[in-house]
Amino acid sequence: MNYTFQYGVVWDNFGALMEGAWLTLQLGVFAFGGGLLIGLICASIKTYGPLPLRILVDSYVVFITNTPALIQIYFLYFGLPELGVRWSNEACVLIGLVLNAGAYLTMILRAGFLSVRKNEIEAGLTMGFSVVQQIRYIIVPHIAKSVYPALANFFIVVLVMGTSVGALIGVDELTGQAINLSSINYRWLEYFSVVAVLYVALTFVASIGLALLGRWAFRVKVRIF
Amino acid sequence: MPHLAVNELRARYGALDVLKGVSFSIEKGQVVALVGPSGSGKSTVLRTLVGLTPATGGNVMINDDRIDFASTASLRRARDQIAIVFQQYNLFQNMRIIDNVTVAPTKIKKRPKAEVRADAERLLAMVGLADKLQAFPDQLSGGQQQRVAIARALALHPEILLLDEVTSALDPELVNEVLDSIRQLAEDGMTMVLVSHEMAFVREIADQVVFMDGGVVVEHGPPAQLFDNPKTDRARNFFGKILRH
Repeated sequence: MNYTFQYGVVWDNFGALMEGAWLTLQLGVFAFGGGLLIGLICASIKTYGPLPLRILVDSYVVFITNTPALIQIYFLYFGLPELGVRWSNEACVLIGLVLNAGAYLTMILRAGFLSVRKNEIEAGLTMGFSVVQQIRYIIVPHIAKSVYPALANFFIVVLVMGTSVGALIGVDELTGQAINLSSINYRWLEYFSVVAVLYVALTFVASIGLALLGRWAFRVKVRIF
Repeated sequence: MPHLAVNELRARYGALDVLKGVSFSIEKGQVVALVGPSGSGKSTVLRTLVGLTPATGGNVMINDDRIDFASTASLRRARDQIAIVFQQYNLFQNMRIIDNVTVAPTKIKKRPKAEVRADAERLLAMVGLADKLQAFPDQLSGGQQQRVAIARALALHPEILLLDEVTSALDPELVNEVLDSIRQLAEDGMTMVLVSHEMAFVREIADQVVFMDGGVVVEHGPPAQLFDNPKTDRARNFFGKILRH
């Protein structure tokens, strides 16, 4: 093997990679946040909602979790324009990821809903909590604690695997930038080894962020690793 | 005018009739004890009063105000006036002790934070837990958790307090600390309905004992009369069995 690593060229374009990393983080955070909102609403419906709505939520979850995210994003990017709906490639990735994450998070949060002790709910009811107040003060803090590891893992899945799908429809997130740059000078090994380190750094930053958020918002003491 | 009047209250779990027309009433500041064998419907009476088990018949009057359990507004009014303490404490595990006590008054009743906080500290001191404000429920003993539950119920400023077998999940040496808190409340004139198997305590604290069996009130009266001189065979049987020990 007489390959000579040349990281200088990566360094020259490090700014572009960082821009990609920043976009990846934004996509991950917004996709996860949006998915969390959808998941919370759908899990509430699955727990408290009427039958027709529950069937609707189940169909959504089954449909999304049984098709690849790439297909869903292709559908938005290549399919919808045929129907006259045209979104930018960033919007397609974000909306696709939100819908995708929403389905998985519905299932994760549903497990959290089921693990809430019935007697805490009863105590809340007798103290005058409405359903929304129960969710806010009793269920969400409980869920944040009980399914936190699953949530954190899933965030990493969205951040690392989900957002990189964007590269395939020309979104210049971290993977997209790396593909763009390395196809100019064929320094694939250098670019992608640096990108791998950047992804690890990203997930580290994200984990710390989630841990701090958990402590601040729900008084959940969580370990970062 | 009775403070709380329960008239022909009925309730069922599925096909099972649990309450088949229960009536009793309680004056302001009185303590009524519901006693009877397991499955007689005592706890169901309390659960029905706070709307956890739907009433299928009869009615409940608080200060001559009829509670319509089918109406959210009416039920809310009832819950404003009645607080319940459960056998298993039912504390919010994710909240510190102080937050368990203050969450409903501040977030639900929208009372000023500082006032609620001072009130909660006073109540927790009253039940002997002034030093546990920042603890979480799972760091406390059962007796301490139950006293938190009592403080939490009192922080809602209820007119009527329901106590559902509040000592039966506790180790014997912890029972007294909870009973002391209840004694204090009785002295302060709180109207209370309690379900209890602590017959000595019932005899000491209750103004009236309601003996239930099979979902109906079999006999009621002052504790001395019911314990020492029951009129019905069923009551005689029950008290005969448990008071012998």
